Amino acid sequence: MGDGEGMNNNLHLGDFTSNASTGATVPNYYGDALIELAASRPDIVALNGDLAPATECAKFKEIYPDRFFSPGIAEANMVGMAAGMARNGDVPFVHTFSVFISRRAFDQVAMQVAYPKLNVKLSGFLPGLTTLLGVSHQAIEDMALMRSLPNMTLIEPCCASQIPAAVRAAAEHQGPVYLRMHRPARPMADNEPLLPLHIGKAQMMKEGSDAIILASGHMVAEALSAANTLDEQGAKVSVANIHSLKPLDVDFVIEHARRTGAVVTAENHSIIGGLGSAVAETLLEAGVHAKFKRVGIQDTFAEGGSTDYLFDKYGLSAKHIVAAVQQLLS
Amino acid sequence: MRTNRPSTEQLALHATSIRKNLIRMVARNGQGYVQQGLGAADLFTQLYFCEANLDSDDPNWPERDRIFLSTAHNSAVFHATLAERGIIDPELLETYTQDGSPVEINVSERLGPIVEATCGSLGQALSVAIGICQSAKRKNQQFRTYVILGDGELQEGQTWEAAMYAGSNGLDNLCLIVDVNRLQVDGPTENVLSMEPVDDKWRAFGWATRSVDGHDFQQMADAFDWARSKKGKPTVLLLNTLVGKGIPFLEGQMSHNMVFPQHVADKALQVLESGHG
Repeated sequence: MGDGEGMNNNLHLGDFTSNASTGATVPNYYGDALIELAASRPDIVALNGDLAPATECAKFKEIYPDRFFSPGIAEANMVGMAAGMARNGDVPFVHTFSVFISRRAFDQVAMQVAYPKLNVKLSGFLPGLTTLLGVSHQAIEDMALMRSLPNMTLIEPCCASQIPAAVRAAAEHQGPVYLRMHRPARPMADNEPLLPLHIGKAQMMKEGSDAIILASGHMVAEALSAANTLDEQGAKVSVANIHSLKPLDVDFVIEHARRTGAVVTAENHSIIGGLGSAVAETLLEAGVHAKFKRVGIQDTFAEGGSTDYLFDKYGLSAKHIVAAVQQLLS
Repeated sequence: MRTNRPSTEQLALHATSIRKNLIRMVARNGQGYVQQGLGAADLFTQLYFCEANLDSDDPNWPERDRIFLSTAHNSAVFHATLAERGIIDPELLETYTQDGSPVEINVSERLGPIVEATCGSLGQALSVAIGICQSAKRKNQQFRTYVILGDGELQEGQTWEAAMYAGSNGLDNLCLIVDVNRLQVDGPTENVLSMEPVDDKWRAFGWATRSVDGHDFQQMADAFDWARSKKGKPTVLLLNTLVGKGIPFLEGQMSHNMVFPQHVADKALQVLESGHG
């Protein structure tokens, strides 16, 4: 094969996402961004819960062995350790799957990271319904949990081209950050421009006056696809990337809800407690009367499966967003 | 080995003063963590007056030894010790558990940087401590880290996650103090969930252990010297303590949150005033 590194990546993908079956070698956008940052930031260290390949830390470990720590399969302890390191001036990035850093270690995150406002970055992988590994590995309420914690900032890049900015934003922010990381299934196109990311700001991806889709993470691509379909049907729909769920760009949400009068939220997450809830709270408190629909996991647990299958079955794909917008506009 | 420690007589005076203050603090509420406070007063005295490098004028001194109180509810003895050591204003003790006071019943870092982590949720301090120890090793910082853990907390799974890491990584800048008072909310520890043999458990996790009398200043001093001299392994001191220590009519009364009205407190204070403790 001759491409030792690429083969190594494929053999040690480790997260049972759909890209294993495509055979595509996808760069470690997250891992490379962290390594690049670590070169100029000697305070950055990484902790890993026995998931280095799946959380793109294997290369960091090789390059910075003295800044990489393995607490093993022990997430509660790992979060506490990161807090201790932050108290001693380090900027620890904690790596595991989203579900384990939220469901499993929530008390530790609340008491040892959020309450003391420590400079700990929690990088959670496998968000929502993106894995064959099933219900135990599917974080469907991580954003709801993290959003409810005082002092916590929530970032979710929409795609590969926004990952470097997301990692930088997390590192530059002083305080706890939950970084919800979806590993792209395909490499970026050669000419794809990098997207910026500003905490507390929404990002308009497509302009239209009939409705707005507020989407996060993986769902931004679905929303753009839905908007193109709606275009063909004569409905002009805006799509915004809500990469910062907390703080939410409240002014943006209110302005565009008023302008369009129809709001669909789209998240790879339960409809309870995440983006849909945050937008509903914002609009109701601001007295905005807009038609409103939440696309997301409809208060149910799921199962293992390919992302396409799960998005189709649990109502997260572009066609579901199209149907939601049509319902509001009819 | 430390040579400049206060005399045993001086330490006993400090411990008595701490006991008096914690009795007054708990009595104002008519209930509280008096028994485990009396039991731990000697080990707090030993740690804060002999072992830990602290600067009472600068609680945030970067090179200070870190002390974590994992049993954050053992707050009366903790705050009384800080006042005795000159780290907090003794007048603050008067506000213990009062609305708005930073002197809370579960020790909170609202008090200031002398509280290394907020630990009311049991079993968490050891992880934070090993994070600091690991970070200090990497940066070649010389301070030591002490953690005071209750024996009931040995039941928390996270304690053993942390134990595994510290043992596996040879964190010899860490000294864990287990306050073995055999008391937890639902009764004597061995009746709730027996953890024996405790020192075998720590040894199996790669720690060096010593079991000593938590009321004998000389034994404790020797044990802390031994812990400092131990290289390549974290150390754990199992300090056997007696709840209610110092007040004969309270000694051994196994009450986690004891009803403690003023007249009982007055009797206890009389014992300490008369020097018959």
